[in-house]
Amino acid sequence: MNFHIRLYAFLIFFLLTGCSGESGNWGWYVIDPSTKSGWTNIKFLVAGFGATILLSLIAAFISIILGLIVALPSLSSNWFLRSCNRVYVEFIRAIPLLPMLFWVFYGLPVIFKSLGLQVEIDAFWGAVITLAVSDSAFTAEIYRAGIQSIAKGQREAAQTIGLSYTQTMRYVIFPQALRRILPPLANQFIYIVKMSAFASVIGMQELTRRANEIVVTEYRPLEIYTLLILEYLVLVLVISFGVRWLEKKLGSNESAMN
Amino acid sequence: MDPVIEMREVSKYFGSFKALNNVNLKVSKGEKVVVCGPSGSGKSTLVRCVCRLEKHDEGTLEVLGSKLTKDEKSTLSIKSKVSMVFQQFNLFPHLSVIDNLILGPTKALGLSRKDALDRAYTFLERVKIPEQAEKKPGLLSGGQQQRVAIARALCLEPEIMLFDEPTSALDPEMIAEVLDVILDLAKEGMTMVVVTHEMGFARKAADRVIFMDKGEILEENTPANFFKKPQTERSKLFLNQVLNH
Repeated sequence: MNFHIRLYAFLIFFLLTGCSGESGNWGWYVIDPSTKSGWTNIKFLVAGFGATILLSLIAAFISIILGLIVALPSLSSNWFLRSCNRVYVEFIRAIPLLPMLFWVFYGLPVIFKSLGLQVEIDAFWGAVITLAVSDSAFTAEIYRAGIQSIAKGQREAAQTIGLSYTQTMRYVIFPQALRRILPPLANQFIYIVKMSAFASVIGMQELTRRANEIVVTEYRPLEIYTLLILEYLVLVLVISFGVRWLEKKLGSNESAMN
Repeated sequence: MDPVIEMREVSKYFGSFKALNNVNLKVSKGEKVVVCGPSGSGKSTLVRCVCRLEKHDEGTLEVLGSKLTKDEKSTLSIKSKVSMVFQQFNLFPHLSVIDNLILGPTKALGLSRKDALDRAYTFLERVKIPEQAEKKPGLLSGGQQQRVAIARALCLEPEIMLFDEPTSALDPEMIAEVLDVILDLAKEGMTMVVVTHEMGFARKAADRVIFMDKGEILEENTPANFFKKPQTERSKLFLNQVLNH
């Protein structure tokens, strides 16, 4: 881990200083905290964290719930329920994020209007809905794989001690599946954080949008986008460490399990 | 005496494969029946049909006076009255031994945690491993795990116990400790159907031995007669292979 921190520190140091030269085309002054305008720019850029984090968290939360609801029919013995799950997953998975975002933001209000409903979709909720729904197809598959990876004997044993389907899921299958589901689920969360950048195109004031706005006024794309990338890097690293910690906590008795 | 298990012309298909072929079988209360036969002969399917892990396709099957059908509701009538011990133990690895034992009583039977714990410790002592109560099953030996599995099944105080090759996944030196526990149960009058290749156990504990091949019951006999003069060529061959290996 020490090695990792040093590697990242070097990377950041290298990006900020290593390629800059007095006579070159570098213009780090746009984000130089020692100057007044640089500091204003930095503050403006970093202020996007709140929106990106909030957007990602809400979208991830909805996606985790929605994914579970979508996954449950896939475990049924009823072919109709299973095919409902298949259709949802295949259909949603096939839509690229950007077109879906446009459809939700510009298209959905038209549908609401034609139904006589007064529903406004602002950039924030448009992005939340899109990210959550788009991601739910993937989380559903993660749940399905995790649950199906639990040996059939576990369910059979639960049945022979008289547990109902719901009890079997709650006390036997989910607790075991959770440890297998968590790492890929965290992966999806990181994916959501990164994909939230698309929200910038519908005017959501998050990290990417703010970077774009500064680029337009300062015309220093390299420096500002570099900072933008570093902002996402920090965010994702924090999530990664958090997940590692959680995995360790949940898997503390791993050796005792199989 | 009224049979607690009664099968009439029971058949079971897996696709086009006929796993059970017109099986007729009666088991009375308190009876110990050993089912043997070569692998793929339908022994496991037979006991799995009784505890509804499989649903038979043809014929009638009555367990404890209830007629069992493909309808899930018919399964409820025997819920937790028929317990099963599996070849692979199937303990819940994320729960401690004691939590494995109280899960059924608290959730399926609605016992209080305290009553369930009392019951669980009683049965853990019966299978002679009360000191392992707090451990995760993964830390136990195979023989200990199977004894926990037997205790878990007993915690529901079932009327019928089914054993599906309970010693086949065990190291040789652990077979005896598990068989001893099952023998004790047999002496106490539990109704049992045991699928096993342990002919010594059949000789000691069984009231009846059933020999199956290709989904059919070929022979039904007392243990003494079954070992002395098996009635079919197939069972003779089987006994030769099992006893003289």
